[in-house]
Amino acid sequence: MRSLKTIRAGAGVLDGSAQAADVTLDADICIIGTGAGGAVAASIFARSGKTVVLLEEGGYYTSADFTARERDTEPRLYQEGMTRTTKDAGISVLQGKAVGGTTVVNWTTSFRTPEDVVDHWHKKHAVGGFAYADLIPHYEAIERRLAIAKVPYDSLNANNRTLYDGCKKLGWEVDTLRRNVFGCLQSGFCHLGCPVNAKRSMLVTMIPDALDAGARLLFRARADKLERAGGAIARVRGTLLDAEGRSATGKSFTVTARRFIVSGGAINSPALLLRSGLDSGGLVGARTFLHPVIGSSALYDEPIEPQRGAPQSAASHHFAHRGDEMGFFLEAAPWYPGLASTAAPGYGSSHADFMRQVAHTATHIAIGIDGFHDDLPGGRVTLRSSGAPLLDYAITPKMWSAFRFAQKRLAEAQFASGARKVMTLHERPVVLEGKLDEAAIDAARWEIGCVPVFTAHQMGGCPMGDDPAVSVVRSSDLRHHTIENLHVIDGSVFPTSLGVNPQESIYGLSHLMASRIAASK
Amino acid sequence: MSSVESKVAAPTTSRRRVLKLGLAGGALLLLGGSGLALYPPSRAGGAPTAPLLALDGRAFQVLVAVAARIVTAAGADPVAIAHGVDRALSYALAETQSDVRALLGLFENALAGFVFDLRLTPFTRLSPSAQDAALESWRTSRLVVRRTGYQALRKLCLASFYVQESSWPELRYAPPSGLNAAAYDDPEIGTPEWIEAQNKVRGS
Repeated sequence: MRSLKTIRAGAGVLDGSAQAADVTLDADICIIGTGAGGAVAASIFARSGKTVVLLEEGGYYTSADFTARERDTEPRLYQEGMTRTTKDAGISVLQGKAVGGTTVVNWTTSFRTPEDVVDHWHKKHAVGGFAYADLIPHYEAIERRLAIAKVPYDSLNANNRTLYDGCKKLGWEVDTLRRNVFGCLQSGFCHLGCPVNAKRSMLVTMIPDALDAGARLLFRARADKLERAGGAIARVRGTLLDAEGRSATGKSFTVTARRFIVSGGAINSPALLLRSGLDSGGLVGARTFLHPVIGSSALYDEPIEPQRGAPQSAASHHFAHRGDEMGFFLEAAPWYPGLASTAAPGYGSSHADFMRQVAHTATHIAIGIDGFHDDLPGGRVTLRSSGAPLLDYAITPKMWSAFRFAQKRLAEAQFASGARKVMTLHERPVVLEGKLDEAAIDAARWEIGCVPVFTAHQMGGCPMGDDPAVSVVRSSDLRHHTIENLHVIDGSVFPTSLGVNPQESIYGLSHLMASRIAASK
Repeated sequence: MSSVESKVAAPTTSRRRVLKLGLAGGALLLLGGSGLALYPPSRAGGAPTAPLLALDGRAFQVLVAVAARIVTAAGADPVAIAHGVDRALSYALAETQSDVRALLGLFENALAGFVFDLRLTPFTRLSPSAQDAALESWRTSRLVVRRTGYQALRKLCLASFYVQESSWPELRYAPPSGLNAAAYDDPEIGTPEWIEAQNKVRGS
């Protein structure tokens, strides 16, 4: 039997924070980022006989570090210590930063890319490099490796069951979800790193597979710049970070390779290309999508205990397609005290009163589907003076309108499932006693800083397509249009958002594209 | 809304307006960054009890005063909350740390207080009810930068308190300890091949 602990302690794993001198490495393929895109690609390349170096800015944390305590984990496992926001601070950005990327902290929801989304890409974004059918065997391979399976209704916790039941009563489409877990103890702490390795994240599957096949991993290593020689990328240079990832150690690294795979995820991958002078005529960083989220809390007589059980196990896509209006889908969100306290409205005694009700409170969310309308163009990643990414993302009038509509539908579903009281999460919440009051929701202050909006799904910024005038990488193998040894393999290549939680879409696309690249030479 | 805000903000917040306010916000933060140095320490105390990681002593002191009004739940200790915020910020970008220091300066800055709320007293020297009024002014402001500034401090303080175990009994929240002692160590678990092998072992 292979052992995660043994693999973690292997000679191929280099801790950037512990290096006494600058590090120089060489490989056939250098992969920058170890999340859903990079880890799958690394596994395939390493098993095909290529020498592979993986680079990761975050730490190599394991279940031993996952204590189910927010204080121990959130600052370490999320980008910018969980303080990342959009430029105007209108949207909080939850995005992982660790070996395994966001897959370490996501809520395990697994969807294949909807077929109509791929059709839209074909028709509207010149994505001709693969057919939907081409993805199927790769989804199947991923689903086997990650033990992805649909959960039964009986396993839904009260937070998810209330959403499911409410949608059913209203005649809305709703279903239980597929999750990438095996032997799950239903402890509910997916968001803080699975303490028992039941979540089949990249940390405990594809990364070990790649390392077992000879790949090397340098973590606490921030890629600063890709350097060109002639028409190709010759090397990546970067900075080694201390054990907590808070500051530079003063040491650097250089990796030379024949091929480079950028897999830093939306926001970070565009930023690396921009730092490297590769802006593709202004296309890099543009059309960044977030699936922006609003929430609704509902008070039930029965205990909800929203921190227990699978965080997400039901969803409704009943409102995903709304013609000229922005669509959205409905899911549940777990509440951990720290996270919950930031979403709960107000301060002082009113906030404390709200928090004391958490054990009887269900929280359901509406997730906006951006990128499919001309007036939902997404945001743009630019660079701060330090070189760190900065995402400018406007919440447009169409989006605010959809949020108001979604807030009403959330309340309807919550009342239908027996909620006694429904509260919006506005700084001055709309409190609905026993029934929906659409006028009250319309009258609420729908502005930045008055209602929390967050994102856990970042997509786009390096779109794929076959027309270099509107895309950064080609869709047949995600190779840069003008640089032959540079690929981008992660969620940044999606030309729109997905309308579903993105992890399996990234796995499947990475599996397909890495297989093609590995077979090409 | 103050008279100054009424001149700055439009009745509806268009994207163009938000961007303009964002620029105004940058100027406000610069004002805040310079403001801390203008005033002596308050009488309120709030000195750090451990080395600071991201804040300086003056910003810490303002944060303690803000935390005392934001978090009034049983057992809340403003100094401990401020240290928690300081630790959380130490993982943030240097730009974010700088912005928060400037934001705290703006809270304290008497000139800013006068411009927005016609008050000349620094935040740390206000009575608790006057501090609440100042917070309320930020919270309901027509200026995006004031509302998001309030939200930043609110969230940092609340999260710092509620990640502490001492806050959990009130919420009836009791996460288990030591779950990770029983973590699976085999990277293959759950695959069809692994399940088949397990079945063979059980059958033999």
